Formats: sequence, structure tokens, C-alpha cells
Amino acid sequence: MFAALFSVFVTAADWVSPSIDYHALAPEIILAGGVVVVLLLDLFTSENNKWMLGPVTSFTLLGSFIPILTLALSDSGTRSLFDGRYVVDNFSLTMKGLFVLAGYLVVLLSSDYLREGDFYEGEYWILMLSSLLGMVMMASSRDLVSIFVSLEFLSIPAYMMAAWRKRDLRSNEAGVKYFLLGVFASALMLYGMSLLYGISNSTLLTDIGKYVSGEMSAVRAVAILFVVVGFAFKISAVPFHTWAPDTYEGAPTPVTAFLSVASKAAGFVALLTVVYVGFPNASEVWQPVFWIFAALTMTVGNVMALRQTNIVRMLAYSSISQGGFILMPLAIAGEGDSAGAALRAVVTYLLVYAATNLGVFAVVIAVSHKTRSGAISSYGGLFSYAPGLAIVMTIFMASLAGIPPLGGWIGKFGSFQALVSAGTTWGYALAVIGAVNTVIAFGYYGNVMREMWMRPVPDGDTTHVVVPSAITVALGLTTFATLLMGILPGLVLHFGDLANLAGAFGG
Amino acid sequence: MGLFVFVCAAAMVLVGAVGVVTRNNPVHAALSLVLTLFGIAVLFVANNAHFLAAVQVIVYAGAIVVLFLFVIMLLGVDQAEDLSLEPLTVQRPLALVVSIGVTGVIIAAVLKSQDALFARGTGIDSATLQDADANIRQLSRSIFTDYVFAFEVTSVLLLIAVVGTVVMSRRQHGQHVEESV
Repeated sequence: MFAALFSVFVTAADWVSPSIDYHALAPEIILAGGVVVVLLLDLFTSENNKWMLGPVTSFTLLGSFIPILTLALSDSGTRSLFDGRYVVDNFSLTMKGLFVLAGYLVVLLSSDYLREGDFYEGEYWILMLSSLLGMVMMASSRDLVSIFVSLEFLSIPAYMMAAWRKRDLRSNEAGVKYFLLGVFASALMLYGMSLLYGISNSTLLTDIGKYVSGEMSAVRAVAILFVVVGFAFKISAVPFHTWAPDTYEGAPTPVTAFLSVASKAAGFVALLTVVYVGFPNASEVWQPVFWIFAALTMTVGNVMALRQTNIVRMLAYSSISQGGFILMPLAIAGEGDSAGAALRAVVTYLLVYAATNLGVFAVVIAVSHKTRSGAISSYGGLFSYAPGLAIVMTIFMASLAGIPPLGGWIGKFGSFQALVSAGTTWGYALAVIGAVNTVIAFGYYGNVMREMWMRPVPDGDTTHVVVPSAITVALGLTTFATLLMGILPGLVLHFGDLANLAGAFGG
Repeated sequence: MGLFVFVCAAAMVLVGAVGVVTRNNPVHAALSLVLTLFGIAVLFVANNAHFLAAVQVIVYAGAIVVLFLFVIMLLGVDQAEDLSLEPLTVQRPLALVVSIGVTGVIIAAVLKSQDALFARGTGIDSATLQDADANIRQLSRSIFTDYVFAFEVTSVLLLIAVVGTVVMSRRQHGQHVEESV
């Protein structure tokens, strides 16, 4: 027996442990540490001291932002770990920064909501931190195994957060619908991934890029299609959007903000990495798919949003249609050298959309605090008794609609510019569809503005809206970001320029 | 011989999978799942992945399905949903058409481009298969080098799953959950 053990040690001598760049992994390690710290604190604090878990969560998020900054400022360029399976480049750093800051804003939105609703607090923060950890990992994952693990990591906590209002049947429905369709999408994507592995005998996206090229055999097309459809669920692209309105309406409002911004951005990040690094030579397969998705998503999202009377449901469809606008540039990403422009447009749009949409939800949470209603008509006369909220909401609505000089305008401008500069008929056609949809979107964004400014207060109740301080801070930050990105577009475009994806299109 | 084993195992997998979907009694569905998982274990053996086959039988066919059965028993086997009701009558015929279509496309794609799916890679190093622990050693090498990050992070995912399950299934003090069933 000792001889057998000894032989094990001898053969293990040629083992070389992988070298790990701990600086590159620091954001993930801090987030994982935060999960454990919050879990332990939650166990050993009394019910009266649970309030400290929210601040601990936000310090963890700000703490993990520090290594993201130092990594961005260091000169060593792209860091590649585990044989290219985990890459920290400018694209991933930009997106990690977006996820962590969006997470911080969601913490600000959630803290008062949780306390008033008497929900479990500690577990909520643990799940949110771990979902963010999955997103941060997703930004760096460059092989099928880590992409899948990151996707599950960011989704599984989100399923449970959607069902957080346990006593409310609609929240239960939200969680179950999100869970079932999410798992279904994962299964589809896994099937596509297994085909990709069969084609290229590697899980590394750069290796897959070499084999998924040349003449498109049917099985390659099917594999690409399944993977893309799997992520289309995550970004709620039509026709895979059916879960989104019910989940957004039923979930607690801060969770809806989280899902519609961070989770959607994570889906786009995964889509960008898979398409740019994994399938750069298969653009004839995915370009038409993205074209159809973008056109359908914009149109269906907009038309359905026009008919909504509930503000959160309207925002759900609005977020679907915004997803269509973000998808637009991908429909021409394979034409000539427009890949870079398309990537810039998507990243810019995501940054602007995140700031604006989180701001909208901050207003919704603040207003529903007083009106206790989700109806759009409950915003009637908001200007007369809460002028501050009405003005910020107007800024956000105008930004989502794409009115200059607000942030949303830069996002839309970038998308259209990328489409037009590709110079293809399909690009022009999609740009026209996008323009028509921009006009339709004015309908429902304008409707909310009209309610706030021109309509009377529905029940004559003009008591002051008490905005909790955390939400005031969130409102300030998002308004500042939305205005700044619109007035100084160079700033956000600078981040878009930074976002070059290592290994994209074989580069 | 190889073909015979493959056909038998594949038949087990497929019959089990169809059984999971079509059985009305959840216990029967869970037992059909055992058949599927066992068929996959046989396929692993046929590909020399003995360690994975053993894990498949012990963990999946053994532990996980037993857990499924526990949960089914806890929830009550007799609480069958009436599946004949449906709000949109076109749904099921449409789903049937779409699923047949998708299956057809996949089969056609795989048949048409068999050349694209070829075993190019190293997979299990068959030269060292004589060693009793060859499987385990190769598996652990790839887990602890190339995939170490995804592997380690999965452990945090399990922690999250535990936390979430406790929250979702626990009742708060003095709180009466609405009877939703």
C-alpha cells in the first residue's frame, strides 16, 4: 500500500501548478470574499443590526472597483490566464466596471425597499453579490466551460431574487417563469456548445474560431444558432422575450432594475465575446440572425410598450426594445472592418442605457413609495408636488427616447453610425427600421412626460414625496452620468474606444 | 460490438428521456430518468471513461434521483395537475410541429456534415489506460490546470444554491404563505 502511495508521489513530481496572476483575479476574489463575509455577518448579527449588511455589500463592490482601476491603469496590457481561458483586457475591464457600479446603484435602490417590505436582507445581498460575481467573470471568460459557469452563476441568484416577495403570487410567478425559461435557454445553449466542442475538439473560443470558418457546414450553422439563441433569452430578444414582462412586473422593483440593466448587459457581453472571438469567420450565419432579432425586438417591444398602463410593464417592454437598438450594430459586425465600430457602439449604448435605466427605476421606486400604485396615470401632476422627481424623470425619459443632448442620444447615434458606415443594403434597411422605431418610442416615453407635466393629480393627494437618502444619492449619480455622457460625449466614446476585445476577429 | 453497445445504450437514453416527459406519475418519470442516466454511464464506459461512468452511476443515478424521489414524496404524489386544460388551444399542436421541425433540422445537419464532427483530439490518452488510475489522473490534471478557475468557482455556486434554497423554502415567523396550489 505504501509502495502504491509512493508511486503516486513520484508520478506527481512532473505536475506543474498553473501560474495565477492574482492581480488580474482580484475583483473576483474580493467579490467572493464579500459573499462569505456577508454570509457570516448575517449569521452572527441580531435582527436590529442587519442594516449594516447593505453598507458592507456596497463597500465590497467599491472595494472590487479598486483593482479594476489599477488593472486599467497598469501598463502590462492584456493579461491572459489559464492558457487563454480567462482574459483581462480593456473590454472586460470596461464591462466589469459597469457591472460593479450598476451593482452599487442597485444596492442604493434596494436598502430601503428591503427594510420596509420586511424581506430577508442578508441573503438578498449574498445573492446579489454572487450574481455580480458571475457577471464580472463573464466579462473575462474566453472558453465554453467558464462562459457556462459564469452564466449559471449570474442567473441562479437572479431567479431567486425575482421571487423575493414570497407572499406575493405574482412574484412567485416571476421567479418560476424566469427560472423555467432560463433553464430551457441554458439547455439549448449547452447543446450548441457540445456541437462546437465536437467540431473543434476544444473549449477555447480562439480554437473554435479556427474551426468554425471556411465553408459553413450545416452542423456549424446549427451550433452557432443554438448558442446565439441561448443568449437571446438572456437579453430578452424577440421571440425569446416572453418571460421578461411578467418577471419584471412581478419581481421586486430593485430586482427588476438589476435584471433589466446588469443581467441584460451580461448577456450582451457573453454574446459579444462568443461572436467576436468564437465565430469571427461565420458572419454569414449570425449576421442575418442578429438582423432579424434586432428588427423584431425593436418593433415588438415598442408596439407592446405603447399599450401598457402599468409603468413597470411599460419599462419592461421599453427595455426589450432598447435591447433591439443595442443589437442593431451586430447585424453588420462582420462587414469589412466594421467590427470595431459595432463593438464600440454596443459598449457605448450599454454604458448609457445602464445609467439612464437605473435612474428611471430609482424614480419609480421613489414615486410608488407615495402613490402605492404602478399605474402610469398615478404619475399625473407629479410636477406640481414633486418637481425634482418630475424633472429627473423627464431627463431619463428623454434620454431613453434619444433626444439630444442627453446620454441616450449618443448611444443611438453610435448604433446608427455603425450601421450606415458599413454601407450595405441590409445595414441601411435596419437603420430605417430603427429610425421608425425611435419615433414610435416617443409615443410612450412622451406619454409619461405628459402625465407628469400636464395632467391633474389623480386623487388630489399632493403631499410631499419622501425620497430616502440612498435613493437620492442614486438619482444624483444617474442623472449626473446621463447628463455628462450627453454633454461630453467624448467621455463615453472614450470608454467605447478602450473596449477592444483581445483576440476578436483573429486580431 | 462497439456499435451494438452504442445502439443499446442510446436506446436506453432515448426511452428514458421520452419516459420522463410522457409519464403522468412523477415517480415513474424520476425512475425513467435513472434509465437515461444509466445509459449515459454505459456510453462513458464504451469510451473508456470508467471513472466518469462510476461517478455518473453513484452521483446521478444514485444520489440525485433519490433526492428527486424524496422531494416528490414530500410534495405528495397524488397531487397531479390536470394537464388537459390549456388556455391557448393552438399551443400544443404548434409545439409539436416546431419540435419535430427542430429535430429534423438537427438530424439533417448532423447527417449532412458528418465530416465536420470528427475526433481529432487527444481525449483520453489511451496509451496510459493500462494504469489503474489513468482516468482519474487525466481528469484531475485538466480540472486543476486549465479549468481550475471554473472548477473552484463552482463551489461558491453550490453555497449560493444552499442559501437560496433555504430562503425560498423557509417560512417566516408568524407569516402565513398563501396557499397557491
